[in-house]
Amino acid sequence: MSGEEEENAAELKIGDEFLKAKCLMNCEVARILDHKYDQLQQMSADPTNQISQVFEKSMQYVKRFSNYKNTDAVRQAREVLSRYKLAEFELCVLGNLCPDTVEEAIAIVPSIKSKGRKLEDDAIEKMLHDLSLIKKFE
Amino acid sequence: MFFHITLERNMQLHPRHFGPHLRDKLVAKLMKDVEGTCSGRHGFVVAITGVEDIGKGLIREGTGFVTFPVKYQAVVFRPFKGEILEAVVTMVNKMGFFAEAGPVQIFVSNHLIPDDMEFQSGDMPNYTTSDGSVKIQKDSEVRLKIIGTRVDATEIFCIGTIKDDFLGVINDPGVTA
Repeated sequence: MSGEEEENAAELKIGDEFLKAKCLMNCEVARILDHKYDQLQQMSADPTNQISQVFEKSMQYVKRFSNYKNTDAVRQAREVLSRYKLAEFELCVLGNLCPDTVEEAIAIVPSIKSKGRKLEDDAIEKMLHDLSLIKKFE
Repeated sequence: MFFHITLERNMQLHPRHFGPHLRDKLVAKLMKDVEGTCSGRHGFVVAITGVEDIGKGLIREGTGFVTFPVKYQAVVFRPFKGEILEAVVTMVNKMGFFAEAGPVQIFVSNHLIPDDMEFQSGDMPNYTTSDGSVKIQKDSEVRLKIIGTRVDATEIFCIGTIKDDFLGVINDPGVTA
């Protein structure tokens, strides 16, 4: 089950299916789950008995760990990150953890410096700077 | 990590549901059956966001049930070995601590907690550095790396570490001096 072909997110070995899939940052998931919760509220008087524990826990988690609260900021963050040659998975890890320095960014997403797709330090520095600006002016 | 993926499932429907609301009933049944479940391949299905396609129904031999192949999109949470993420500590004991990241539970053994952190028992058991500057206790937020996953029948369980660089308690710059 797990452990087939040595899964390792640090090297972006997460299987074809997930490499090509759309990855979501916590703030984006928060919007989707909020929307879904509103829909459930409209459909029945008591939405809480329709929500699974998985949904409830996930909603609490993404709200607690969202870096960007308003819709525009979320969109801008994704836009900034999309300018660089990143895999969806890498983009979301960076968006979720918001590293302060280039060194930290490389430590949490080692794959950005591997496989001949090396992202230059300058580019990483600029990306982190742009991300921090979004947060500052949110 | 959360993903938005397309999944397929064969749904069986009893003829009593046939009628003008067949599609709605099918979607409702899909949500009831799939949301909140977990598989080793896709992780936890958190929420179904839309139904892409419902194929032609096939009547099953011998029973009157009809099988519909349904294609739908869902938000799933799938933890990966080597992934770094943030979690909330739920329980601390001398073997290590348990943390939760969304629907998944992660255990960090005391062997994978930095050596300069010691276990303190008491009302609020915690791990603290010798100078008391960093503390891990219930409801603390930590950044950890997943080093292994195990798939059960109904859930995925992970083990993690905070011993590497840039891992450990997350300090809120607004709170600490």
